[in-house]
Amino acid sequence: MKALKVLGAAAIVAMVMAVGFVSAPPVAAHHAIQAEYDMNEIGSFTGKLTRFAMINPHVRWLFEETKPDGTVEEWEMSGAGPGALRQAGLVRIFKVGDVYDVTFAPAFNGANLGRVRQMTFPDGRVVTLFHEDPTSEEAQQLNQ
Amino acid sequence: MGQGIRTKGTVVAAVVAALWLMPAPAAQLGAAPEDMPTPRTADGKPDLTGLWSGGGGGNLEADAEGNITVLSRGRPCHPGQECAPAVNFERDSGVRQRMDPNLPIYKPEYWEQVQFLDVNGNLQDPHGKCYPDGLPRIGAPNKIVQTDTELIFLYANKNTFRVIPIDGREHHPVRSQDLTYYGDSVGTWEGDTMVIDSVGFTDWSWLEWPGYLHSNNMRVVERITREGNTFTWQATVYDDYLAEPWVMNPVRRTLNPDQTELLTEDLPCEDRDLANMHTRERG
Repeated sequence: MKALKVLGAAAIVAMVMAVGFVSAPPVAAHHAIQAEYDMNEIGSFTGKLTRFAMINPHVRWLFEETKPDGTVEEWEMSGAGPGALRQAGLVRIFKVGDVYDVTFAPAFNGANLGRVRQMTFPDGRVVTLFHEDPTSEEAQQLNQ
Repeated sequence: MGQGIRTKGTVVAAVVAALWLMPAPAAQLGAAPEDMPTPRTADGKPDLTGLWSGGGGGNLEADAEGNITVLSRGRPCHPGQECAPAVNFERDSGVRQRMDPNLPIYKPEYWEQVQFLDVNGNLQDPHGKCYPDGLPRIGAPNKIVQTDTELIFLYANKNTFRVIPIDGREHHPVRSQDLTYYGDSVGTWEGDTMVIDSVGFTDWSWLEWPGYLHSNNMRVVERITREGNTFTWQATVYDDYLAEPWVMNPVRRTLNPDQTELLTEDLPCEDRDLANMHTRERG
């Protein structure tokens, strides 16, 4: 892991929630995201995707990060429900074996686990799957 | 940036999705019932057949650089309020549910257990453990197929189905003593309202969040009334743990305007969160 550093909330973009309709169960989230992840922190690593699991209630990406000393560290990233990615047609864009730069909100318990924020693909594409900054100007306009 | 896809405007989709996740007031749900007559079967009964609600999709497009940005919008935070992304949805929905004046009334000997399940909900909620939601928590069906003798309910939730005889039979003597999440159901018409009586439940499910337990002697009566392109579903729970029957809030569903839309497979549920909970906070 390169670093865990605090970035301003304004740096955060946004994310998927449930764009799924027919395929998304109409159930409320079963726990608060901040009950598991520190939404004020941003972690990062570069790792090879080893498994992309389309499962409920949250999709998972598993990575292997090869450290400078040759040791391998495993990472697990969580996302929204699978309905969001399915409806968005994003399921097959993640390729096992490709190396991604990943940023995430880290789990409080120190495990190599996080709520994914952003993945940069080998070709430079950036996929952001996160939550909107609720303090942003755009969000504040909703209060007008 | 390379070629590809970037999406803006998904905020709208996220907001729509958030609305989908919450019980919406009837006034928000589609066209007025008088927009279409209630279709009827040959014997004059209302025909409940159809795909109800749902439809649509993400409609994502990438930007010129190939980037995709998908935004999930919650309640904005007031300037100066200590706030981080995604901290509002569960909290807001939890407050909303707790403020509902229509709650099950438990006999005093069950109060302590309900409170325990509430405060330990992240670890105790069967939904979080990937168990079936069961009746009545699963709510109204997403698709109904009606024949002369059966109703088939399909749910966009763990690929759940129910087959409900409407041929006048009584509860099955064995299945009504089973311990299942959806029980043994039989349906009868009361005028234009389909009344479904279900018994034979496990006590492993909850009536609702937070921690509304029930016994395995529970009986659930669902009432479905179709008016034009909407139906109203309402469940009443009769249970030994309750001081009085609980008449749940009615749910209205609108006929999907695109009846060629498919109810697609729900993918498996695998909990990987409970072992990593930092707090018990749900909402």
